[in-house]
Amino acid sequence: MIEARSLTKRYGSKVALDDVSFTVRPGVVTGFLGPNGAGKSTTMRMIVGLDRPTSGSVTVNGRPYAEHRAPLREVGVLLDAKAVHSGRSAADHLLAMAATHGIGKARVREVIALTGLESVAKKRVGGFSLGMGQRLGIAAALLGDPATVIFDEPVNGLDPEGVVWVRTLARHLASEGRTVFLSSHLMSEMAQTADHLIVLGRGRVLADAPVSTVIAQASGDGVRVRSPHLAQLSELLRARTEVVATTTDDGALDLRGVTAAQVGEAAAAQGIVLHELTPLVRSLEEAYMTLTQDSVEYHAGGTPAPDASATTSGAKR
Amino acid sequence: MSTATTPRTTHAHATGSGVSFGHVLRSEWIKLRSLRSTAWCFAVIVVILVGFAALGAALSSAFSSTDATPEQQQSIAVTIITFGSPFAQLVAAVLGALVITGEYGTGMIRSTFAAVPRRTSALVAKVVLVGSTTFVVSLLSLAAGLLVATPLLSGQGIDVDLSDGRLWQSVVGAAATVAFTAMIAFGLGAIIRNGAGGIAAAIGVVFVLPIIFSIAQGLVAKAWIYTLYEFTPPQAGTRLYDYPVDGASMISMPALDGAVVLEPWQALLVLVGWVVVLFGIALALAKRRDV
Repeated sequence: MIEARSLTKRYGSKVALDDVSFTVRPGVVTGFLGPNGAGKSTTMRMIVGLDRPTSGSVTVNGRPYAEHRAPLREVGVLLDAKAVHSGRSAADHLLAMAATHGIGKARVREVIALTGLESVAKKRVGGFSLGMGQRLGIAAALLGDPATVIFDEPVNGLDPEGVVWVRTLARHLASEGRTVFLSSHLMSEMAQTADHLIVLGRGRVLADAPVSTVIAQASGDGVRVRSPHLAQLSELLRARTEVVATTTDDGALDLRGVTAAQVGEAAAAQGIVLHELTPLVRSLEEAYMTLTQDSVEYHAGGTPAPDASATTSGAKR
Repeated sequence: MSTATTPRTTHAHATGSGVSFGHVLRSEWIKLRSLRSTAWCFAVIVVILVGFAALGAALSSAFSSTDATPEQQQSIAVTIITFGSPFAQLVAAVLGALVITGEYGTGMIRSTFAAVPRRTSALVAKVVLVGSTTFVVSLLSLAAGLLVATPLLSGQGIDVDLSDGRLWQSVVGAAATVAFTAMIAFGLGAIIRNGAGGIAAAIGVVFVLPIIFSIAQGLVAKAWIYTLYEFTPPQAGTRLYDYPVDGASMISMPALDGAVVLEPWQALLVLVGWVVVLFGIALALAKRRDV
């Protein structure tokens, strides 16, 4: 159980985290989703006491992390960047980490086997691929058999097989009743792994709900219409201020903020012929873009915004 | 790597009682000895201390004079076996700074502080280990240097009396000087956190500071400048292993009238003071800083 209360972090005048509160519960996988720079890593470092909040507090299993007598047995953490000395072998790194808590060599061997690092355990970490580095970080996180695991971008750099492995591991850890908190900037990854989502954008919590709810919220309503009288139909719908219309390349009209039934009724009332009236289901990525589009810190300069941002749904907040 | 099966996270062996200073000390010991840089630095210290002692002894005819008293002969022996001390201090400064800046540079410090979130015991364990291992390596090297030098010196009319307590006090003092240098560098490295910066600062204190003072003293021969020089770590260290005869040192330049000249015990306190102040600042900063 992780409980964050009004976490705020300022670097000079820049606000990295703004009054962030959430609870991560045991027994489910909680995804921590947000664009790069949203404050996910900062939040995770705060949970394990590496960064200090400017204000607010966070506890793990009821206490601030640093006040636990055996913190590695409470929380296992995989941090974003490689937090390992590149000149040391994987086995020595794990032995040194284990030694701080009096954890023996047998457990070190166990986590090496668990993460599939046997063949490289004696090699220096500097030569590891990103994927092997992630496996080592996960091995270190599991050393203390912790009740809570925090993985920052665990699938970064993993091959597809590794991605599946992390997903399976996360689900398995949660099924054992542990608290599992994973961050990612990829909605599709989170949708496949997490039960619950906390979405962060520009240092604020944008959503904190089960995955299906977040997707439904962000999707909004969408309808595609084809008609020989599109101009007339547009005119009609323009009266409704909440409707956002975009013309597609092949001459259809995509509408947001209105249901297929409403469009059909309005068209019938005016005697407008419709050739197509299709409810649109947005992809997860589109839903995510909608949720975070105003909170993306670094837009790619000059390139046009992706599809989803052509419509401005009010799903945020 | 084929681990896409259901993972087994069992924990038959994940016992362990929690963080204690003994555990942290053991962890830091594993870390220290599992890096090549440690082995390299110690190997270089051994080569420098033994090599310079042997070289100095082989070329010691410059020192030998038939009318040297037994006490002067002991002083010559100390001077020769500690020839390598400034260079060993230089390597120790690099090692001391690297032990901590290497962790900041690679991100390892986050793993360290996540495992030991109170941070103090991790830093204390590091400084204790870097100091004590450097001391042991230096002491053994100096003793080996003494044993290598003794027969060479006796061939040139300098008879070293190995039963002389003052001689061994100098040997221990010289080893302590190298160890203190490593700990001072550790403190600087922990404050600066950057590898190049930490090493530069440590070399500045060990090598550049005394040079600045001796140049300043040459330009304006003031007693207070000499006194400041006396308090720099390498000069205080020299007082710790010096073997003066009738107040005259063979190692150190003569002090100006009215300047402070440290007794060995005072020199020890000065070096302890450098370590305590720098390490104290480092600790206070490390407790507050984000990593």
